[in-house]
Amino acid sequence: MGRHVVGNAAELPPGSRKIVTLENRSIGVFNVNGAYYALKNSCPHQAAPLCAGPIKGTNLPSKPGEYRYAREGEIIRCPWHGWEFDLTNGKSLFDPHKCLVKTYEVAVEEVREEQEEPSVETYRVQIEANKVVVYI
Amino acid sequence: MEQVEEMKATRSTGRAIIDCDVHPYPKSVDEIRSYMQEPWKSRYRGSGRGFFDNPVHGMRLDATPPNGGGAGTDPDFVREQLLKPFGHEYAVLMPRAFCNLLPDPDYATAIAAAYNEWLADTWLGKHNADGVFKGSITIAHQDPHAAAREIERWAGHPHFVQVMTDSGARAPFGQRQYYPIYEACEKHGLPFAIHPGTDGMGINVQPSPGYPTHYIEWHTCLSLAFQAHLVSFLTEGVFERFPGFKIVLVEGGVSWLPGLMWRLDQEYKALRYEVPWMTKRPSEYLRDHVRISSQPLERPDDDGHLLQMLTMMDAEHILMFASDYPHWDFDSPKHAFPKLPDAMARRIFYENAKEFYKL
Ligand code: FES
Repeated sequence: MGRHVVGNAAELPPGSRKIVTLENRSIGVFNVNGAYYALKNSCPHQAAPLCAGPIKGTNLPSKPGEYRYAREGEIIRCPWHGWEFDLTNGKSLFDPHKCLVKTYEVAVEEVREEQEEPSVETYRVQIEANKVVVYI
Repeated sequence: MEQVEEMKATRSTGRAIIDCDVHPYPKSVDEIRSYMQEPWKSRYRGSGRGFFDNPVHGMRLDATPPNGGGAGTDPDFVREQLLKPFGHEYAVLMPRAFCNLLPDPDYATAIAAAYNEWLADTWLGKHNADGVFKGSITIAHQDPHAAAREIERWAGHPHFVQVMTDSGARAPFGQRQYYPIYEACEKHGLPFAIHPGTDGMGINVQPSPGYPTHYIEWHTCLSLAFQAHLVSFLTEGVFERFPGFKIVLVEGGVSWLPGLMWRLDQEYKALRYEVPWMTKRPSEYLRDHVRISSQPLERPDDDGHLLQMLTMMDAEHILMFASDYPHWDFDSPKHAFPKLPDAMARRIFYENAKEFYKL
């Protein structure tokens, strides 16, 4: 249970992702159009590394013979069987109430950098930066 | 041998596995071409299935080897990603030559031969010191006599364990034009494996009534061809004519089997007259002659239904595990099945294949 700084916000621009291991759990952190989300990196179907899948849009429900492609960048597809999950809430598109992947809270916070491994040759510096923080 | 021991030690499923459907791919078209003679050599460009391609991806996206090349092209990476983590003792390889859709039987036969040479040299040869890879002899059923000669050519090879073809065909497989193939299989104790592919493509009929529109439709209906082929084998009396002949239905679906057998057993009571060479009820031939591989295993919402279905079809004796690695519809040995009774799991994941392929 805890708070984990996973990197600088600037290094995770919209459309990008970072897969990290926190408390022995593999977790994918995503920037979806400027908002951040974190998903467990394991597909509820057969446990594939879900967060490594392609990020796409999808065809919204429509009338037969009609295609309404939308939500570009908000849907991740499993790298195995291609099930679609909504990055913003972890729910599968075909059965959002029963088939979903665990999500984690993500925040962008100003973090006072603590110096790691100080050595005699360096001086302690403090940088203020926006950090992506995952709460699990 | 050492490597096999190590695999047993690292397996995470807690049981030894024989995987009956793993796909090896050549590194390039040229690799296959190098085993061909003219006039085929310059004609061959490799080919997939053409239309009805998966709209998402055809291969597991994480199966691309880190050192380059496509999914399924690197034997060492297959060991790393599939065999070691799950505890595979053997992987039965099924190459995808897609030669069964071609109208020219000589060309199709040349492709099959090249694939066999390639497989023998590479996956079954220089990359098989531990012997975990077992192969399938690709044949072009367009020319059954040539196919039989191809079987003869490889039958003595220590790592080829079966003959394989696509389910796409011009006629159901029980019919007599195919018998030279079955005669060769029986003579050498090689099972005949049918794998989906080339249905409704090139020279082959589509087993559904006409051509479907979408991949979801085509892919779901692939099992129809298997049902038609199986009924044909049984009613044409192939297992009476070739008592030592065995078949394995790979990736053709599983749970349709009980219903189909009930139907056929029932029909037999009234219509036996038409097929007097059937000396047993259709379902009785199954245990002796037919095996079915698990992937893609239908997974109902209620696990209990699947367990019942496995009991109904005598899965303990006729089902063999397959993963279909590295294809997109891969079944994980850890997650494809609900919890099975121990004895049944052992037979499905290991013993049935061990006996069937005499491994
Ligand atoms: S494991 Fe993710 S869709 Fe099957």
